[in-house]
Amino acid sequence: MSNIEFDIDKVADLSMLSLSDEERTQLEEQLPSIVAYVSKLHEVDTSNVSPKAYLTQEKNVFRDDVVVRDDQEIEQVIANFPKKTGKALEVPGVFE
Amino acid sequence: MKSALEIRDAVRDGKMTALQAVEESLAVIKENDHKIGAFLEVFETEARERAKQIDEDIKKKKDVPRLAGVPIAIKDNILYQGHTASAGSKILENYKAAYNSTVVERLLAAGAIIIGRTNMDEFAMGSSTETSAFQKTRNPHNTDKVPGGSSGGSAAAVAAGMVPVALGSDTGGSIRQPAALCGVVGIKPTYGRVSRYGVIALGSSLDQIGVFGRNVADAALILEVIEGQDEHDATSLQLSETTVAEIMSPNLKGVKIGVPKEYFVDGMDERIRRQIEEAIESMRELEAEIVEISLPLSEYALPTYYIIQPAESSSNMARFDGMRYGTRAKASSLEESYQSARGSGFGREVKRRIMLGNYILSAGYYDAYYKKALAVKTAIFEELQQAFKKVDLIISPTSPSVAWDIGEKFDDPLTMYLADIFTITANLAGIPAISIPCGTVDKLPVGLQIMGPVLGDNKVLEAAAALEKSIGKLEL
Repeated sequence: MSNIEFDIDKVADLSMLSLSDEERTQLEEQLPSIVAYVSKLHEVDTSNVSPKAYLTQEKNVFRDDVVVRDDQEIEQVIANFPKKTGKALEVPGVFE
Repeated sequence: MKSALEIRDAVRDGKMTALQAVEESLAVIKENDHKIGAFLEVFETEARERAKQIDEDIKKKKDVPRLAGVPIAIKDNILYQGHTASAGSKILENYKAAYNSTVVERLLAAGAIIIGRTNMDEFAMGSSTETSAFQKTRNPHNTDKVPGGSSGGSAAAVAAGMVPVALGSDTGGSIRQPAALCGVVGIKPTYGRVSRYGVIALGSSLDQIGVFGRNVADAALILEVIEGQDEHDATSLQLSETTVAEIMSPNLKGVKIGVPKEYFVDGMDERIRRQIEEAIESMRELEAEIVEISLPLSEYALPTYYIIQPAESSSNMARFDGMRYGTRAKASSLEESYQSARGSGFGREVKRRIMLGNYILSAGYYDAYYKKALAVKTAIFEELQQAFKKVDLIISPTSPSVAWDIGEKFDDPLTMYLADIFTITANLAGIPAISIPCGTVDKLPVGLQIMGPVLGDNKVLEAAAALEKSIGKLEL
């Protein structure tokens, strides 16, 4: 297990997560042991297998790009938005 | 409580009104749910209104839709327009669905009445329903025990007779395992049989919506309504054969049933093994041919799953950032706002899997873990394809243990993950699988799992229905 490198701060950063000190300590202990467990896969010889993300035989599915308007849906999307002025949705600035 | 089929027939024949069916369901919930905690919300007023509307329509001699008056519960990760769908998470506590999931759309069109939304592990990450941000759900057979998970609320609601049927979702066993622990029937259909549109995603290549019922025919009845291709889900399949709801199969004559020796390993609970062996005996009596088979890759299913699922779920969880819904955190920078909204909105198990997934997908580890896992998954699928050339169905226990004490495994993730050891293969391979009750250990239900080949859902249901008659139903 000692050969598992797990940079917890880097992964928390990639994950966009703030962690409490307690969570950090717990995850630092648990995650390397989970990674060590899943490393068991390296025992399997897969040199003759081509990895597939989806196993179904379906081909790509296409549809026309048509706008479907559902007023109730639009209202609910706006209602769920944390900050808004009328129908305008407020987001924090992206540029400094 | 009447079965869904009995309610459907009684309402259609005018022997019962939809409102009576709803009132019965609401009464059982009122009497029992304070002890069980299956529901996060009961749509009481609305359920009554809908029932009255259906009764009106029937009186006016309009066509009676095929599920008219059947009360059903839905897991909290399935969208029902205008209703809260929180996926058991604080980050979605106040989120109201903007649109209907395809399954809800189809249930409503068929005249079913959605009674409420049920508790679940946060974002379906868990095997005991304990990671829910809102409440614990208790096993109706023994309220000190967990109901299993992640669809523990739906399983408990059906087991306690609050509703005849309920929807759940199954990514690694989240329907079958709680069905086993609560002593009800739970089916995870073939991947793509049921549209995933409008279900809050966990692992998109593994997720499948399925049904809980108190018997096989009820589960099949609902599956028939919700299944089929959907333009909103590109992975949904065109079915050449729909589910047969009223299954009549007196025996298992000519059916070859595979028993994988790897699933009956040392260290397995002897009492569960005995129950499964008795079920195998019943299959023999029903004239099935029992064949011992070998699936050597079985031991790699769980590690494969705990790479693919966290990888997919860490990506799916990226959309929860407090911008479009949830609580937007006040912070000095945009990045900090994301970090803080996610840090305070997600529970521990969700954080654990997001971290694990991002580690696996990060530069330097992607090939070694993610790509490797996809290769092993493909190899597992091919191994099963070979097995299904020799046998029609494969059986195993659903869960390595009966329901455990609330709190017992909560802080030990690896032990919790092992609860899904028998169910995960079906998700990796996309094949249909059902759990049916097959006895008890310490007065707690034991489940038998029956797996079938891709799109062999009817075969699985038929065998389960034949077997259900001979191994009997559990008494509550």
